[in-house]
Amino acid sequence: MPDKHQPELKRSVTPWGSFSWGYSDVGADIFVGLGLVLGAAAGASNVAFLFAGIVYVCIGLAYTELAATYPVAGGGQYFVMRGLGDFLGFVAGWAVLLDFTIDVTLFAWSCVDYLSEDIPALLNPIHPWIHFIAVFGLIAGLCLLNVLGVRESTTFNGVVSALDVMSETSILFFGFLFAFRPELLVHTMTTQWPSTFNLMLGASYAIISFVGLESISQAAQETQRPASVIPRTSIALILTILIYALAYSNLALGMVPWHQIPLDAMGHAQTLWQWLGNNDNNGKAVALLAKEVPYFGALAALYVPILGAILLLISSNSGVFGSSRIAYAMANAKLLPSIFQRVNRRFRTPAISIIAFCAIAVVELVFAAWPSLDPGAAAFYAKFFHGEGGIGFLGDLYAFGAATSYSFVFLALIALRMNDPLSPRKFRMPFNIPMTYKGERVLFPVIGVLGFIGILSILVFTILTHDLGRIAGPAWLILGFIIFVIYRRNKGLPVFGSAPHDWRHEQIGILRDAGELELMDEYVASLKAREPARAAEAR
Amino acid sequence: MIAVDPVGAVIALALVLAVVSTLWWMLHPPISKVQEIARDAETELERMVGSIIVVFSENIASQHMMALAAKLAKGERSELLAIYVVSVPYSLPPDAEMTDEERRALDALGAAQAIAAKADINLRTETVKARSTKQAVLDIAKRERANLIVLGSFREGKYTGAPLSRTIEEIAAEAKCDVIIGVEGKHGNLLVDQLGFEQGEQGEKAP
Repeated sequence: MPDKHQPELKRSVTPWGSFSWGYSDVGADIFVGLGLVLGAAAGASNVAFLFAGIVYVCIGLAYTELAATYPVAGGGQYFVMRGLGDFLGFVAGWAVLLDFTIDVTLFAWSCVDYLSEDIPALLNPIHPWIHFIAVFGLIAGLCLLNVLGVRESTTFNGVVSALDVMSETSILFFGFLFAFRPELLVHTMTTQWPSTFNLMLGASYAIISFVGLESISQAAQETQRPASVIPRTSIALILTILIYALAYSNLALGMVPWHQIPLDAMGHAQTLWQWLGNNDNNGKAVALLAKEVPYFGALAALYVPILGAILLLISSNSGVFGSSRIAYAMANAKLLPSIFQRVNRRFRTPAISIIAFCAIAVVELVFAAWPSLDPGAAAFYAKFFHGEGGIGFLGDLYAFGAATSYSFVFLALIALRMNDPLSPRKFRMPFNIPMTYKGERVLFPVIGVLGFIGILSILVFTILTHDLGRIAGPAWLILGFIIFVIYRRNKGLPVFGSAPHDWRHEQIGILRDAGELELMDEYVASLKAREPARAAEAR
Repeated sequence: MIAVDPVGAVIALALVLAVVSTLWWMLHPPISKVQEIARDAETELERMVGSIIVVFSENIASQHMMALAAKLAKGERSELLAIYVVSVPYSLPPDAEMTDEERRALDALGAAQAIAAKADINLRTETVKARSTKQAVLDIAKRERANLIVLGSFREGKYTGAPLSRTIEEIAAEAKCDVIIGVEGKHGNLLVDQLGFEQGEQGEKAP
C-alpha cells in the first residue's frame, strides 16, 4: 500500500474511461491483425479469430475476476505476486513492462505510417529521418500528457474511443447491409480452407488482435468503485472486440466489393480477402475494406486512415499509461526501486515512472528505426537478426511479453482461488469445481486451466517460430532479474522468497480505498466467522 | 444497384443492437449504498428548498446566511423571501413607531436585495411588526408554505441556557418545516464585511 505521506493516485476514471483505456489498447489491434490473419488463414480466417477469441475470452474473464477482487494498480503483476510470490510477480510485471514500452513505440510508429497515407513526407522508406522525428515527437507528447494527469489522458482516450466505436459499428453495419452475401462466405470457406500449419499461423496472428486487456486492470486503482465497474467494463470490452473481430473476418470473406479489385502482381484476378491479406495491403486492411463498402465507402475513404492513426495513437498512449502504473505498483511492492513510486505533488501522477518508461520506448524506437536511418546498420541487422527489421523485432517481443505474463496470471488465478477464498469476488469465472483445500471450501476454476493451456501453447509457438523473440525476450527477463537481485539484496529482502505481507489487512485497505464498503464488510464478516483471531488482528 | 440480402440486414441490425446494448449495460452499474444515500440527500435537498424564508430581527442576525440562501435558491430555482421582524414590546401599542429598529430592517433587507440581485434571483422582502418574533416567523412560514427557514446567529461566548438566543431555539423547536441555523464563529465575520455591515451596527454582536 502507498506510504501515508505520499499523495495517492486520483480516482478519476469513470466506467467509460475504464472501458476506453482497454479499448484504446485492444481496439487498434484489429487494424493490424485483420490483414495478417486473412493472408495466413485465408478461408478459415473467421475460424482463426474464433479460436484466438476463445483464448482471449478466457484471459478476459481471468482479468475481470482478479481486477474486481483486487482493484489496485499493477494488474497482472500484482495478481501474480499475491498468488505466486514476489519473484514470479516481478517476472510477470517485468514481462508486462516490456509489452507496454513496445506498445508505445510500435503503435506510435504505425500511427505515423497511417498518417503517411495523407502526408507523403512521412513515408518511412523515402523520408526515414522525418518519420523517426515524427514518432519521437508523438512519444514525447504522450509522455507530457500523462505527466499532466490521468484525467486529461482519460478524456482524450474516451473521446477517440467513442468515435472509433461509432465508426467501426458503421463500417460493419453498412458492410453487412449492402454488401454481405452468405453464399459467398460459405463458398470461400469451403474452397479456400488453409492447411493446418497456416490455420495455426493465422490463429497466432489473431491473438495479437486481442492483446491489451491488461490496461483496464492497470487503471483499477484510479477507477471509481472498481469492484463494481471493472467487471462491466471488462466484459463489455471483451464482447465488443470479439464482435468486431468476428464481424470483420466474416465480412471480408463474404463481401462483394463496391469497386473492381485490382489484379495481383502476376496479373491474376484476386478476391477481396486475398487483396486485403497480401503483403502490400495487410497493414491497412480495415481502411481498404471500409472503402469497399457501397455508398458508405466514399465517406470512409476520407476518414478511416485518419481515425486509424488516432486509434493507434491512443493505443500508444495506453502503453505510456500502463508502463508507468505497473512500475508504480511494483515499486510499492518493493519489486523495483522506490523512485518509481513517487507521485508528483503538483499533478498527482507517477511522473518519474512515465518519463523513465517513455525513455525506454525511445531506445526501442532508435533500435527499430536504425536500419532505415543507417545502411550500415541494415547490413548488421541482416547478418545478426536473420534479416528481420526493427518492427519485426518489436512484434516478436510483443507476443513474447504478453504470452509470458498471461501464463503467470492464469496460474495466479488458480493459486488465489485455492489460497484466498475469503476475498469477496463480485465477479467469478463460470464453470468451477467445488472442492475442499486446506480445510476451506474453494471453487477450482476449469476455465483458468483451459486458458493456461491455450496461452502456454501460444507462448511455446512464439518461442519456436520467432528467431528474434526467443533470444531477445528471455534476454529482457535476464536483465530484469539482475536489476531485481541487486535491488533486493541492497534492501535486505529475499530474492526468490517473498517479503512478509499481511494480505488480510491489505485487502481490507484495498476495498476501503476503492469505496467498496459493502464488500469490505463482507470480507471482515468472513474473516470473523472463520478466523476470529486473525480478523481482530487485521482490524 | 445494390441489393440488400436479408441475412446481411439481420446481421447488421443484430450487430448494432449487440454493441449498443453491451455499452448501455456497461455504463449503468448498480449503485452502492453510499451513492444511494447521496442520491436521497440530493432529492431531499430539492424538496427542502422549494420555498425559503430568511429571517432577520433584533436577535436573529442572518446577513451571513443570506448569500448561502441565495445560492441554494438559485441552484434549486426556489422562491426566496426575506423578512425582518420588528418586535414591539407590550408596553407600546402594536402599531407603535420603532424608528431605530425599522431603520435596521431597511438596511438588512436592502443588503438582502443586493445579494439576491448579484445572484440573479428574485427576492421578496417584508417587514413585520409583532409581539413575538417566534410566532411571527411561524405564521409567515405557514402562510408561505415554506420548506425551509434560514436563521443566522453568533456565538455569545457564554452559556445562558439558550446559547443561540431563545427565539432561534423556539423557532427551531416548533417549526413544521426544516430549519437551517448558521452560527458565526467566535472570531469570524463570515460575509458581514462583504455585505457592508459594520460590527457596531449589530448591537447584539459578541465582542
